[in-house]
Amino acid sequence: MIAASWICLFLPLGAAMLITLGGTKLSRRGAGYLATLACFGSFAAAVVTFLKMLDRVPSNRTAYSTAWRWATAGNLDFGLRILTDPLAIMMMLIVSGVGALIVAYSIGYMDGDDEERRYFAYISLFVFSMLLLVQSGNLLILLAGWGLVGLCSYLLIGYNHERPAAVAAAKKAFIMNAFGDATMALGFFLLIQRTGSLDFETVFGQAGAIGTASINLVALGLLGGAVAKSAQLPLQTWLPDAMEGPTPVSALIHAATMVTAGVYLICRAHPIFEAAPHVQELAAGLGAATLVMAGLIALVQTDIKRVIAYSTMSQIGYMFLGAGLTAYANAMFHLMTHAFFKALLFMGAGIIIHALGGEQDMRKMGGLRQLMPKTSLAMLVGALALVGIPPFAGFFSKDSILAAALARGWYGVILWIAGMVGAFLTGLYTFRMLFIVFGGEPSAYVQEHPPHDPAGRIPRLALALPVAALAVLATVGGWLQFAGVWHPVTTFLDPVVKSIAATNTQETVSSIAAVVLGALGIGVAWWIYGAKKEAPPKTSPILEHKFYFDEVYDALFYRPAVGMTRLLRGGFEGPIVLGGVNGVAGTIGALAGRVRRLQTGLVRTYVLAVAASMAVLTVVFLSVR
Amino acid sequence: MGWLTDTLILLPFGAALLVWALPAFIPRVWVGGAAFFFSLLEVGFWIWTVGRYNFGAANLQETSRLTWFSEFGISYHVGFYGYTLWLSGLGVIGMAAATGYGLWAGRDRPRAYFGLMLFLTGAVVGVFAAQDLLLFYVFWEAMLIPLYVLIGVWGGPGRMQATIKFVIYTMAGSLLMLASVIAYGLTQGSFDLVHGHSESVWIFLGFAAGFAVKAPLWPLHGWLPDAYRESPPEVAGVLSGVISKAATYGFLFIAIAHFGRPVSDLRAPILVLAAIGLVYGSLLAFRAPDIRGVIAYSSLAQMGLITLGLFATNVAGLNGAVLQMVNHGLISMTLFLLAGAVERRAATGQLDRLGGMAKGRPVLATVLMATGIIALAVPGSSAFAGEFLILTGVFPHGWGYAVVGGIAIVLAAMYMLRLISAVLHRSPAPQTEDARDLRPGELALFVPLLLCLLALSAWPAGITDRTFGQNSQTPALQSIR
Repeated sequence: MIAASWICLFLPLGAAMLITLGGTKLSRRGAGYLATLACFGSFAAAVVTFLKMLDRVPSNRTAYSTAWRWATAGNLDFGLRILTDPLAIMMMLIVSGVGALIVAYSIGYMDGDDEERRYFAYISLFVFSMLLLVQSGNLLILLAGWGLVGLCSYLLIGYNHERPAAVAAAKKAFIMNAFGDATMALGFFLLIQRTGSLDFETVFGQAGAIGTASINLVALGLLGGAVAKSAQLPLQTWLPDAMEGPTPVSALIHAATMVTAGVYLICRAHPIFEAAPHVQELAAGLGAATLVMAGLIALVQTDIKRVIAYSTMSQIGYMFLGAGLTAYANAMFHLMTHAFFKALLFMGAGIIIHALGGEQDMRKMGGLRQLMPKTSLAMLVGALALVGIPPFAGFFSKDSILAAALARGWYGVILWIAGMVGAFLTGLYTFRMLFIVFGGEPSAYVQEHPPHDPAGRIPRLALALPVAALAVLATVGGWLQFAGVWHPVTTFLDPVVKSIAATNTQETVSSIAAVVLGALGIGVAWWIYGAKKEAPPKTSPILEHKFYFDEVYDALFYRPAVGMTRLLRGGFEGPIVLGGVNGVAGTIGALAGRVRRLQTGLVRTYVLAVAASMAVLTVVFLSVR
Repeated sequence: MGWLTDTLILLPFGAALLVWALPAFIPRVWVGGAAFFFSLLEVGFWIWTVGRYNFGAANLQETSRLTWFSEFGISYHVGFYGYTLWLSGLGVIGMAAATGYGLWAGRDRPRAYFGLMLFLTGAVVGVFAAQDLLLFYVFWEAMLIPLYVLIGVWGGPGRMQATIKFVIYTMAGSLLMLASVIAYGLTQGSFDLVHGHSESVWIFLGFAAGFAVKAPLWPLHGWLPDAYRESPPEVAGVLSGVISKAATYGFLFIAIAHFGRPVSDLRAPILVLAAIGLVYGSLLAFRAPDIRGVIAYSSLAQMGLITLGLFATNVAGLNGAVLQMVNHGLISMTLFLLAGAVERRAATGQLDRLGGMAKGRPVLATVLMATGIIALAVPGSSAFAGEFLILTGVFPHGWGYAVVGGIAIVLAAMYMLRLISAVLHRSPAPQTEDARDLRPGELALFVPLLLCLLALSAWPAGITDRTFGQNSQTPALQSIR
C-alpha cells in the first residue's frame, strides 16, 4: 500500500523532470503523451493503494511513511512524510483520475501551441504538487504542497506570458495565496511552540490541550490559507482573473482540484477546527456568504469562463458550509462530484472556445446547439449536475450538505436559507449561460466564424473522449451515496472524520426545496433568455464591480505600500542613508580627482590605504609589546 | 591532521601569487583558465574535507595550530565546525562561479583581476576557518582589500563614487572592530577563540558595528546600492553572496558565541533593527527601478532575516540562519550573474526597458524563473525551509517578529515576481529583441549553482542536520544558554 502511494506521488514529478531535461529532443506531442501516461500511472497506483486499503479492517487503514528527514533543528524534525488513509486516498483518486483526463484533453486543446512542452512540464509538476498536498503526513509538507500548487497555478495562469492581462492575473493569484501561506505559517509557529511538532498525529492529538486562545489563532491561520486557496471571502478576487490561463488549466486547477484544497484542509485538520468551534462556524459562514455573492456576480458575467469560475467559487462555498458544520463526508462527496461536473463544464466550454477560434464572449455566441450538438449535450449534463437536478451528481451531494445544515440549530438554519438562495441562483446563472450560448438561431458572429473541429484525429479524440468520460461520471458519480439510503463515502471516511448526520426528514425537506428552487431558477432563465418573454434586467454596478473588492484592496493595501515605499525612498533612503555618505564621498572624490590624473592611480590609492592600515596595526603591536 | 584546512587556505593564496607572476604575453584566456582551474581545485579539496568530516561530533575538526606570539596568546589556529564548513563551501563555490564568470566575460588586465579573485578566495576561507581573533582580523582585512580594487578598477561608470563610499563604511567598521579585537585580546590575555568569554557590552558593540556595516544591516547600508550596482556582476555576487555571509558568520561565531550577556541584554533592539531592515529592504526592492536594485535591496532584507534567526539564539533560529546563509549566498550569486547576462544582452538593467525575454529563450527563462522562485521562498524550497526555521526560532521572543516575517513573505513574492515579469514577460522590448539565449559557457556556471539549490530544496536537512553536532553542543551554543 505504501509503495504504491509513493509511486503515485512521484510519477508526475518524473514526467515534469523528463520533459524539462528532454528539451527539444522530445517532440511536442511526445511531451503530452509522457505527461498523460504519468498521470494515468499515478491513477493506477492510487487505485492499487485503494484496493489494498479495502483489504484492511477500517480501524487499520492509516499508515505513515517517511522518506527522509526534510528540515531539522535539534529536536524539531520535519520529515518528508506521507500519510495514506481513507481521506488521502479519496483525494488521490480524484486528483490523479480527473487530472489524467484533463491532461489527456490538453493534448487536443494545446495542439499546435508554440510551447506545448512547457505546458506539459508545468501541468505534470502541478499534479505532483497537488498529490504532495493531499498525501502529506505533516503540516510542513502540506504547506510545501500548498505553496507548490500555488506556484504551478501562477505558472499556468501566466502561461501566455506575452499577454499583460495574463501576467497580471498570475501575479495577483500568487500574491493573494502568499498571504494565505503566511497566515498558515504563523499558525504553525504557534503550534510548534506549543507542541514541538507538526506531525499530524501529535498536533491533532494535542489540539484540545494547548489553550483556547492559541487553538483559535491556529485555526484562524489555517482558515486564512484555506480561504485564499479556495477563493472564498475575503480572498476570492484572484479566481475570476485566473481564467486568463488556458481552459484545461481552469478545469484542473481552478475547478476540480487546487481550489478545493481548502475544503480538504478543514477536513484534514478537523481536530483543530473542532477545538476552535467558533472559527469553524466562521468558515461555514464565509462559505455561505461566498456562495450567495458568487452566484449574484455570475448573473452579470459575459465571459463564458468567468461564469463557470464564479460558479466554482459558489460551489466551494457549499463545501465550506458543509465542512464548517462538521458535515465532512458530505463536503468531500460534493468535492468529488463537483470535480466531475465542473471539469466537464470547463472542458465543454473549452471545446466551444477552441471551435470559435478563441472567442470567450457569450454575447457573440448563440445557436450553437445546432452546430455542436454533442458538446451542447455534454454541457447540458454538466449544467443539470451543477444545478442538482436528479438523477445527476450534484443532486446527491449538494442536498446532503444542506440537510446537514438543518441539523445544526438556528445558525444552521440561516446558512440553510443562504444555500437555498444559492440553489435558485445556480439554476438561473447556469441556464442563462446555456440559453445564451446554445439557444436560438446562430448569431451573426457564429455565422461569420463557423465552429471548426481541430485538425487531426488525435487532437479530436483527445478533446472528445475525456469529455465523454466526465459526462458519464457527472451523471452516475452521485449514485455512490444517497443520504439516508446508502452511504459508503461516509462509512469509508468515518475512521478519519466523523460527520454529523441529518434525519431523513431533514434530507427530504432539503432535497425537495433545493430541486424546486433550482428548477425555478432554470424556469426564470428560460423565461428571460430562452423564450425572451422579458427583456434581461439591467445589471447593477455593484455586481459589475464584483462588490468593489478589487478597488477596496487596492486602496487598502497596494496604494499604502507604494506610498510608504515612496516616502521611505524620498524621505529616508535618499537624503539620510545615502545622502550622508554621499557628501563625505563627494569631498574625498574631489580631492582625489585633483591629486591624480591616471585611472590606475585608483589602485595606488588603495594599496596606499592598505599599507597605511597595516602600518597602524604594526604600530599598535609594537607599542603593546 | 589539519593539512586539508591549511591547503584550503593556502592554495588560493599560492595560486594568486602564481597568476600574478605569469608573464605578460600569456593570453587572457589562459590566465583566466588557470585561475578557474585553481578555484575548481579548491572546490574539490572542500568536497574532500566534507567527506572526511565527522558531522556527528560537535568539536573543532581538521585543526592546525602554530604559535605566533606566545606571550600574547596569538597563534595561527584554524579548523572547522560543521556550520563553518558549509559556509566555507559557499565561499569556495561562490568564488569559483565568480571566477568562471570573469573568465567568460573576459575581464581586462587578467593577471591582476584573477590574482585578486584567488586572493579573495583564500581570505574568505581564512575568515571562516580562523580560531584566533587576530588571525580572523587579518583575514578579514585581506578579504576587503581586493574588493576595493575589484570595484574601483573593473566597475561600471559610477565606480569611483561607489568605491569611496564602500571604503569609508568598511574602514570605519574595521577600525571599530580592530579596537574591539585588541581590547578583547588584552582583557582575555589571549586571542584564542576556542575558549574565552567576555561580558563587555562595548567590545561586543565594536564587533557588532563592524559586522553590521559589512552585512549590511539597516540603517548602515548606505554603501550597498551603489556598490552592488557599479561592481562587475560577479563581484556584486561575491559581495552579496559570500562577503555578507562572512559578516553574519562574524555575528554568530564571535559576537553571539563569546558575548552571552550582552547578546541577551541587547537582543530586543537588535531584533527590532533586523525586523525593520527586513520590511524596509523588501519595500524598496519592490520599487527599485533596475534588476540590480531589486537584488540589492532584497539582500538587505535577507540580512535582516538572517539576523533575526541568529539573535533568536536557539536551535531553530541558528540552524535556520545557517541554512539561509548558504541559500541566500547561492541565490544572490546566481541572480547577480543572471543580471550580468541580461545586462550584456540588453545593454541596460532598467526594468522598464526590458521584457519579453522568455520568448524564444527557454533556457534563460527557465534558469531565471527557477532561481527567482526559490529566492521568493516558495514553500517547498530550501529558502522556505531556512525562513521557516528562522521564524520558528524567533517566534518565542515575540509573535510580532513572526508577523513581520509573514509580511515579508508576501512582499518577497511581490518584488521577485515583478522582477521576473519585467525581464521575461510581455512582448520583447527593442532592447531585448535580438538577445540570444544563454550560451553553453554561461550554462556551465548556472546549472551547477541551480543544482545546488534544487538539491538543498529536496533535502535542507542535509545542512541543518550537520551544523552544530548531534546534541547541538558547540561552544557557540553552550555559551548562550
